[in-house]
Amino acid sequence: MRPLIRIFRLMVQSQRKALLQGAALSLVVLLMGAALLGLSGWFITAAAAAGLAGAGATFDVFRPSAMVRFLALGRTAARYGERLTTHDATLRVLAALRVRLLARAAALPFDEMIRARRSAGLNRITADVDALDGIPLRLILPIGAGLAAHGLVFAVLWWLSDLRVAAAILVIHLLGAAAVMAWAGARAAGPSADAERAGQTYRARLLDLVRARADLVVHGRLPAEAGAVHASDAERRTLQAGLDRTGRRAGAALALVASAAAAAALWIGLGLVESGTLTPALAALGVFTALALAETLAPMHRAATELGRMRLAADRMGAVLDTAAAPAEGPAPAPDRAAPVLALDRLALQRLGAAAPVFEGLSLALAPGEVLALTGPSGSGKSTVLQIAAGVSQASAGRAHLLGQPLADWPEQALRDTVTLVPQRASLVAGTLRDNLALAAPDADDATLLAALDACALGATFAARGGLEAPIGPGGAGLSGGEARRVALARALLRRPALLLLDEPTEGLDRATAAAVLAGIRAALPEAAILIAAHRAVEIAAADRSLAMTSMT
Amino acid sequence: MPRRKPDPIARLTAPVRPALNRAAALAVVANLLWLVQAGAVAAAIGGALVPPALLSPAEGALVFLATGALRAGLGYVSGGIAFRASDRVIADLRARLLAREAGEGPATGVGIGGAGAVAALAGEKLDLLAPYLTRYAPARARVAVVPLVILAVAFSASWAVGLIFLISGPLIPVFMALVGMAAQDASERQMREVGTLNDLLADRLAALADFRLLGARPALIEGFAAQAEDLRARTMAVLRIAFLSSTVLELFAAIGVAMVAVFLGFSLLGAISFGTWGGPISPMAVIFLLMLAPEFYQPLRDLAAAWHDRAAAAAVAEELAAWEDAARAPGLGTGAAAAPLPGGFALTTRGVRLRRGETVIALPDITLGPGETLALTGPSGAGKTTALMALAGLLRPEAGEIRVNGQELDDSTADAWRAELGWMPQAPHFLDATLRDNVAMSAEGDVAAALEQAGVAHVVAALPEGVETRLGETGAGLSGGEARRVTLARALHARPRLLLADEPTADLDAETARIVTQALMARAKAGMALIVSTHDERLADLMDRAIKIGGAP
Repeated sequence: MRPLIRIFRLMVQSQRKALLQGAALSLVVLLMGAALLGLSGWFITAAAAAGLAGAGATFDVFRPSAMVRFLALGRTAARYGERLTTHDATLRVLAALRVRLLARAAALPFDEMIRARRSAGLNRITADVDALDGIPLRLILPIGAGLAAHGLVFAVLWWLSDLRVAAAILVIHLLGAAAVMAWAGARAAGPSADAERAGQTYRARLLDLVRARADLVVHGRLPAEAGAVHASDAERRTLQAGLDRTGRRAGAALALVASAAAAAALWIGLGLVESGTLTPALAALGVFTALALAETLAPMHRAATELGRMRLAADRMGAVLDTAAAPAEGPAPAPDRAAPVLALDRLALQRLGAAAPVFEGLSLALAPGEVLALTGPSGSGKSTVLQIAAGVSQASAGRAHLLGQPLADWPEQALRDTVTLVPQRASLVAGTLRDNLALAAPDADDATLLAALDACALGATFAARGGLEAPIGPGGAGLSGGEARRVALARALLRRPALLLLDEPTEGLDRATAAAVLAGIRAALPEAAILIAAHRAVEIAAADRSLAMTSMT
Repeated sequence: MPRRKPDPIARLTAPVRPALNRAAALAVVANLLWLVQAGAVAAAIGGALVPPALLSPAEGALVFLATGALRAGLGYVSGGIAFRASDRVIADLRARLLAREAGEGPATGVGIGGAGAVAALAGEKLDLLAPYLTRYAPARARVAVVPLVILAVAFSASWAVGLIFLISGPLIPVFMALVGMAAQDASERQMREVGTLNDLLADRLAALADFRLLGARPALIEGFAAQAEDLRARTMAVLRIAFLSSTVLELFAAIGVAMVAVFLGFSLLGAISFGTWGGPISPMAVIFLLMLAPEFYQPLRDLAAAWHDRAAAAAVAEELAAWEDAARAPGLGTGAAAAPLPGGFALTTRGVRLRRGETVIALPDITLGPGETLALTGPSGAGKTTALMALAGLLRPEAGEIRVNGQELDDSTADAWRAELGWMPQAPHFLDATLRDNVAMSAEGDVAAALEQAGVAHVVAALPEGVETRLGETGAGLSGGEARRVTLARALHARPRLLLADEPTADLDAETARIVTQALMARAKAGMALIVSTHDERLADLMDRAIKIGGAP
């Protein structure tokens, strides 16, 4: 239960007023419902008794009948208000939670971030969050309001009617509901979470099958993969059939509990009438109130079967929310303009469990306007050096300074304004060319954007496709690899960083274009220090000097 | 916008119509048992007012409880039948979806979503049919029977009460029809918004690292927050309509019940003497009628509550119909593993024409023997990839003949033919499995040799978990060139007699292109036939022959 309560607390923190209001209205709805039915039963029976006694003329019909109308209308209005308030508050919380999850995903350690599969992140932010709406709407608010309503009704019935009737209604409802919930909750917990997992597996597998279909056909794997997709659906179906059975059993048991409470109220109440303790009207009050309170049990069986799914989602959510918050923001440390833009001092990288370090004793200093090429075979750690310089990865030993200040002292946003890394696999987003460039410079004018494109030898390419309004598909679809690469470079130029880090910047470009792009970048950012993880002669040639990293593995 | 078909859902539910009817019949019977329960309470309380009692308190309670148990049991059985029917409908649709996507290939054409859309349709959207089948369908059956029976019973006891029902009842369907139209539009809008949000999220999640490096994380989060807020607003619009409609219905019901109660109260007191079939109405009949009144309106309210289930199901059914109507480009064979095609290796094509969308591509005749190499050249969009797909049996030619090892390439030979093929697509998609499994694909065994030949062994060794690493779906964690070399390793690992490579060197730097080219040529020298589609003149020059695709068909 703890993760569920944690999520609920989170919800209360942000929507305290609306949820309190919703809780109060839920209680009002239940109480007015009980009062309405109870009063109607009492009124009719009392009127019958008065009519039979010939006292019809003196019987006050107006106050009870006005009360009946008031309760009927009031309950309807309260229910409308309760539904709107609780749903709106819940949806607001969930929308905020989605945003928060995305923010956390955006703050993941860099290597985890680039390796994460989209489907997992998507499931977290969509399906898991969706599963949480039941926590306030079908679990905590109905149970809370139900318990409070039972308490109040018990007191009122004791006062108006008889302790024995009131106690029978209370005890049968509470014990019955608790027993059914405990049974169904325990029985459904595992399958409910498993069914949710199987559903997410199904979706991810189907996605894989559709995306990799041609590969699977050629390799003779299609029926096997289709079978695996089908199997995950079959697993989910089996689990859901079991869950449905549990849910229906719980529903039937709760209906029986409600019938038992009303039957007990009838039996005890009329027994007290026979012994002269109660009037028939007050016995009817008990029976009809018990009938009305069946409403408190109705939402319970769905809550019981959903509990496992909610808990799974809440658990995952908790794990994500526990990870470090977004990097600290704050003022940038005062840069020392006399110091090198980037200074690395005896940097070493030792991967966990590896016998030898990937590199060690790496030192370099980079002045404004200087271009340095890091060379070395794949796996020698060039990319990691750039990531360390960009503050998204850590070295195992050594020191790194940016503009004379230790890298670790730089707050995130100030760091991003000073350093720009273009990784090997820069991704574009769906939209237009302008949308993609605007990520780097939201306020730049067209001339600035076009200049950055020209620097990356892209001006002519896009001129024919609508210029800045040229459409770009999801993940850069519609552009060739080389074009996408150059858009990513142009984006980096727009940041106007003091330190530009380029990881194999001209991969996919022919020699002439590569040379032109590298020259264009240097011309566009004459003051920037540029560090290139180079693997081509053309990249090394464009640098002022180069530094070889020898592989230790 | 296509015109709405009369009832797109009916077509989907036709196979389970008998089961749904059975479930509905049981639900109706369960509902009518309330007449017995109400009668028991009325007899017991009425007996307390006007002895002799028809039923003693204990007998009344027992009848009430026993009937309640029967009612709960019938509800349980009816719910089970409805669940199984809905499970069958959804499972069949899922199986059909999977079979078509796997067997006939992805849908082609404008407005048809990609893999994500298919996964969403098969996943959460099809699930939206369940509430329609399990809630809406039985509710509709109950509406058709229960109010009429109660109306008849009410008329037989008091024509005035019957009249109140008769007047207030029909208002409800009229109102519902009005609300229903608005609900469906709102539902469709909301569903589109869910789709948009998912697409946007998938796109943004893939580019998270870039957002961070460009300092655009705040913009990303703001943009997503706006989208999430939009979804909330759309969902609330749907809910507001649903809540409003059920509130208005509840209001009708409340007014109806209150009128019945007040009328009956006055008649009992003798203040009203009309409305009955002669003689004063008995207290027992009054209590009975009062208990029936809410049940008269309840089925109508349940139907209204389930109304947006219908709207959601209709939206899904339409999307499904669009998916079913979409054109497909079916391939040959089943895509299953098979023994290699017997006979000496030989590939010939004669007069093959291929359809791609609206265009027809004419494939020049090809003859290829063991160890021979061939380049397919031609401008972008000429159909080189389409030609390779046809040679792999992934596409059915419109005309002409492809002969493989002396037999016609058709459904009976395609799988065996593909067992001889290596396949290197332009854009790799990695399954959610280890790198080892992604390379091994069809052929078991050690992948080290293939990784070595593709020049990627040291890159894989440097990954945190080596060949056990799970890659992102497009190979995140590797550079583009490295990912391409992994697909080369996969193609080589199968030890094919013919390798089909789609632009194997496009977007690669010279060094990587050289590695890939060398690996391909080394295998060709060892007897593997090779067909590459390429723009790369250096690669084309290395092939024995080159043919140009494009020009007049």
